[in-house]
Amino acid sequence: MSQASAAPLSIGEQRVEAILDAAWSWLPPLLAAIGLVALWQGIIWAFQVPSYIAPEPLAVVQAFRENAWLLWVNFLPTFVEAMLGFLLGNVIAIFLAIWFVHNSMAERAFYPIAVFIKTIPILAVAPILVLIFGNGYAPKIIIAALICFFPTLVNMVRGLKAVSPATLELMRILSASDVEIFRKVRIQSSLPFLFAALKIASSSCVIGAMVGEWVGSNFGLGALIIETTLNYRSPLLYAVVFTSAGLAVALFAIVSVAERRLINWKTPEVH
Amino acid sequence: MMNHAARRSTLSLALTNEKPSAVSISNVDVRFGSGSGVVQALSDISVDIAQGALITMIGPSGCGKSTLLRAVADLVPLSGGDITVLGKTPEEARRRRTFSFVFQDATLLPWRSAIDNVRLPLEVGGGSHHQDDAQALLELVGLKGRENALPGELSGGMRQRVSIARALITRPEILLMDEPFGALDEITRDKLNEELLRIWKETGTTIMFVTHSIPEAVFLGQQVLVMSAHPGRVKELVTVDLPFPRHLAVRDTMEFVNISARLRRLLEEC
Repeated sequence: MSQASAAPLSIGEQRVEAILDAAWSWLPPLLAAIGLVALWQGIIWAFQVPSYIAPEPLAVVQAFRENAWLLWVNFLPTFVEAMLGFLLGNVIAIFLAIWFVHNSMAERAFYPIAVFIKTIPILAVAPILVLIFGNGYAPKIIIAALICFFPTLVNMVRGLKAVSPATLELMRILSASDVEIFRKVRIQSSLPFLFAALKIASSSCVIGAMVGEWVGSNFGLGALIIETTLNYRSPLLYAVVFTSAGLAVALFAIVSVAERRLINWKTPEVH
Repeated sequence: MMNHAARRSTLSLALTNEKPSAVSISNVDVRFGSGSGVVQALSDISVDIAQGALITMIGPSGCGKSTLLRAVADLVPLSGGDITVLGKTPEEARRRRTFSFVFQDATLLPWRSAIDNVRLPLEVGGGSHHQDDAQALLELVGLKGRENALPGELSGGMRQRVSIARALITRPEILLMDEPFGALDEITRDKLNEELLRIWKETGTTIMFVTHSIPEAVFLGQQVLVMSAHPGRVKELVTVDLPFPRHLAVRDTMEFVNISARLRRLLEEC
């Protein structure tokens, strides 16, 4: 792409260039991943590691093939719990943030409580929620929501407030109402902050759902991890781990695509 | 663009030839803070600015030149005295869109294209009755063809041009400009100075222009309001007797150099 071409490239040539560019950016991480898997296989061969301690990559692939159905039926509940938890936690956080920004009394009253909730280890809350809500979907969704909630609340409050004093003065000179300032300025300036939080939430909601399944459940990827560990079914355990990682990566990718669609402007640094 | 000049002439006819001043500032005090931490930002300021005038304001930092401009714009409350903008209080004038304000920073919304930024005043604060001149205004400020560019794709000078077009879309009688070219490089600043004079002539707007550059103050102003600091007071109102239209070459003339030298002496005394 960077070459100073004398003649304009035809569309076919441009497409080839684009494919080559894409290949060039994908090649290094792909090779690195293949190399690591090869190293893993090599170590297990070299040191004769028994399969129940650490399975070889080929055994994991085989576990995927043989247990496809088992993985699928346990993937679905985890997926549903993570998604619903993601939606619930983030929606509540976004609305609370909007409330906080427009009502400083509410912020002062409830922000410390939100911080307190955040400081309770999720592993400690999980059994309580299972006791209250039983063995079904509800406690897992709530745990996933809880784990998403706090980063989004904090970032959204920061984002909605991340409007420069000069911009607020401009809106004042234009006699804009609070609702107009919210619609024309605050929402857009919060988006980069919101997406930073949603990216965190996209992987942590999977963790939340699985922690819930770990504490009390007989379905889902979390429960499957417990079962395969106790029965030394290591290849399947690894397959479950890769499946849950894949779910988190997929959610992260969806959030990233949405971010690129919505934010077309250069953003100031967001942490 | 031109019809508010006509509107103004009928208004002045009604008031028997005597043009009411665009901005009338009398005995204005502004204090910030309270108790022992009180800071007197402005002390007993009185100035009258005629309609259609271009007045520049200069002074050492802390002299309150920006504060005075912001008091006219209803961004800073008065502690004493009185400001009227075309006979109205600053708040009324703000609600009626009598004036527009241009900040040092262009303060464009980064997600809006140039033309949508220019249109912002039409979308908020009950501004929908204004005519949508955004396209013509972008041409006026020399940005034809860049209507759909995002602020991030424009240079600092271009962004400030967009913000001037945004200020003009409500057809303000008065333009309040707070060091609008202060952050730009000298070449861009010179160019925008010339263009501002052209826009002033084409629109007939009254302009109050805060700057910390002596050449800019002399080049633009019919009058230069020199202010001194701690507390902010009017030091002197210097008339710049250079003919319009002015071009950058005017800065090489003896008169220009003399007035600049006089301003420099005044500022040294502040």
